[in-house]
Amino acid sequence: MMPQFDLLAICSAILLITTFAVVARRGFMDWLNAYRYQSIALAGVTAIIAFVTGIWEIYIAAILTFVIKAIVIPKVFLRVTGGLAIKNKIETDPYISIRSSVILSALLVVFSYFITEQFPFKFDKVVNAFLPVSISMFLIGIFVMIVRKKTLNQVVGLLILENGLFLFATSLTHGISLIIEVGIFIDVIIGVIISAILMQRINYTFDSMSVANLEKLRDE
Amino acid sequence: MTDFLAGYNLNIMMILLCPMVGGVLVTLLKSKRRIEVITVVATGLILIQSFSLVGNVLDNKHIEAFDGIFYVDSLGVLLLVLISGVVFMAALYSINYMGRQYHNGILDDRHLLRYYQAFNMFALTMILVPLANNMGLLWVAVEATTLVSVLLIMLYVKETAIEASWKYLIVATVGLSLALFGIVLYYYANVVSDPTGSNDDKMNWTVMMKNAKLFDPDIVKIGFIFILIGLGTKAGLAPMHTWLPDAHSEAPTPISALLSGVLLNCAIYGIIRFYLIGHLVLGDGFLNTLLMIIGIISVGIAAASIYFQKDLKRMLAFSSIEHMGLVSLSIGFGGLFGIYGAILHIVNHAITKPLMFFASGTISQKYETKTISEIKGVIKTMPLTSMFVLIGTLSIVGLPPFNIFMSEFFILSSGFSSSQYLAIFLVISFLLVIFASFMKHSLGMIFGSPKKQISRGDLGILSIVPMAILAALTIILGFYVPEPLRQLTGNIVQMFGDKIINV
Repeated sequence: MMPQFDLLAICSAILLITTFAVVARRGFMDWLNAYRYQSIALAGVTAIIAFVTGIWEIYIAAILTFVIKAIVIPKVFLRVTGGLAIKNKIETDPYISIRSSVILSALLVVFSYFITEQFPFKFDKVVNAFLPVSISMFLIGIFVMIVRKKTLNQVVGLLILENGLFLFATSLTHGISLIIEVGIFIDVIIGVIISAILMQRINYTFDSMSVANLEKLRDE
Repeated sequence: MTDFLAGYNLNIMMILLCPMVGGVLVTLLKSKRRIEVITVVATGLILIQSFSLVGNVLDNKHIEAFDGIFYVDSLGVLLLVLISGVVFMAALYSINYMGRQYHNGILDDRHLLRYYQAFNMFALTMILVPLANNMGLLWVAVEATTLVSVLLIMLYVKETAIEASWKYLIVATVGLSLALFGIVLYYYANVVSDPTGSNDDKMNWTVMMKNAKLFDPDIVKIGFIFILIGLGTKAGLAPMHTWLPDAHSEAPTPISALLSGVLLNCAIYGIIRFYLIGHLVLGDGFLNTLLMIIGIISVGIAAASIYFQKDLKRMLAFSSIEHMGLVSLSIGFGGLFGIYGAILHIVNHAITKPLMFFASGTISQKYETKTISEIKGVIKTMPLTSMFVLIGTLSIVGLPPFNIFMSEFFILSSGFSSSQYLAIFLVISFLLVIFASFMKHSLGMIFGSPKKQISRGDLGILSIVPMAILAALTIILGFYVPEPLRQLTGNIVQMFGDKIINV
């Protein structure tokens, strides 16, 4: 059984490192690659959980994760961002500096490990390894969305958050039924496409991809 | 577990098929007149089917269909009728409103086609919410409503519309992710409570209700907090309401009416479903306090924002936040009056708010502005519309003899009977502020004389008819609750009271 434990540890490490890559890097290609590697690792983890539990539906979820998140979504993004100026793809001036963001994210990971111990869950190997990781991904995803100005970065934060949610559901409950997961995948794809259209419009209308422009609608 | 085909229900299938077929036909037959007629017919058929489902539910208490994926009881069917009714009204109103924008050159054929496609899809996703028994399906449907309504808001390529849709997309999606987190926790509690059975149906609301007694209270507590924050974002409960005034004011007016009138109710409906489960596990204390606090904050924030409001549609949007807050508060008060008041309030708000939005859309088309101070003397330029605005305003601020007075009366008396005097004091003072500022804004628009020369006359019969129907309902429900509605609300109150549902 020893090698399997190592495999779980390696997978959680990959998931966390890729999450941090999104926090630590400024460039869009880096985020996208981080997301792609994270999704491949996520598909691997899902396959491991399928193997451990022996539920065939989870294998399908793993394949879907790989196809949609590691191939389709990055492709959509590359196509959308093809025409954008390089300045719009780089996070030059986030609300919180990159250095502080990394430290705060590390604190979020510590917090996730702390909080999972407080939960009254039934722990087994899989839950032990992945639950804190999933909550970290969830929290760091929200964190990225809050502190970054570029719309692209916000969407990547949202995707990381969604990966965390998926990992949470799969590791804790061995996946909610397949038909619902397919529904969630469809929602994610459509959401990504709509956000892509919107990002193009933001770029076209404001000549910038920063949400700092989006401050017209408010009540004095 | 029933066989998939044995659980076949023609009614439910028709209801889901109508908007699908409508959407396809709209895509195929591109001409303006045809797609308008198709949409009206499709939504009209949905309304008829929902009424026949009401009869079915009144006879059988509840219907389960398609292997437990769909489940309709009194609560579900009530929301279904509200949705299909308001969707039908909005389809009628769209012909005039969108047609006028088309003639003014704001929209072209492509936009109009996209509008009606999305309109049908929006109807479909909203209808799925009250039909779903599987709580995962409910989540997927609510998330889908977000995506489709974002498409409808970004119909206009304006800076403000882009900003509103981006905020809406991001805030609502993050909120709903939190809700899914909570739903997974409920599911986990259900799986753990009964380790022997298969997990296939553990996501079903009916199964959750059956096993609720065995749930781990701590997990349910955490789960409900996440669901309240998540679906509360979608329901416009403060302090997660930030997207709502932007989205509701930037959407095309028929869509604003749908967003405010029924989409918010879809989210509240989800909260009620999980509240019912949590109530079995935790009893009154914890959940009710949460709902009360969040309700009071919503009413308070709405009061402050309405007082300072300059934009007509934003004012109505904040008024929606107020009313959703009142519903949440009322469920928090609990008791017979509280639940009855909450359900009645959902119905009344779903009737009166679309009326107000339709009227505001017509007014702002005539005056070509949404700024309150620019609009004067509607009674002189549009006599009929101004009557509807007056009825809607008097109703929405809670004056007798209109419908919202009745439900607010129940809500406040439930507060007194559960002796929440502080909450009552706060809410009554907020309601007074809202009353004063809403009346000031509205009366200023209705009376006086127009600032610039504006031609007399209302805007076409198709803009008047939906408003007239809704205004009539506003008045009728003020003193008379029809028998089917009384039975449905009675059944719903029992669901809260009995604590055990007959599955």
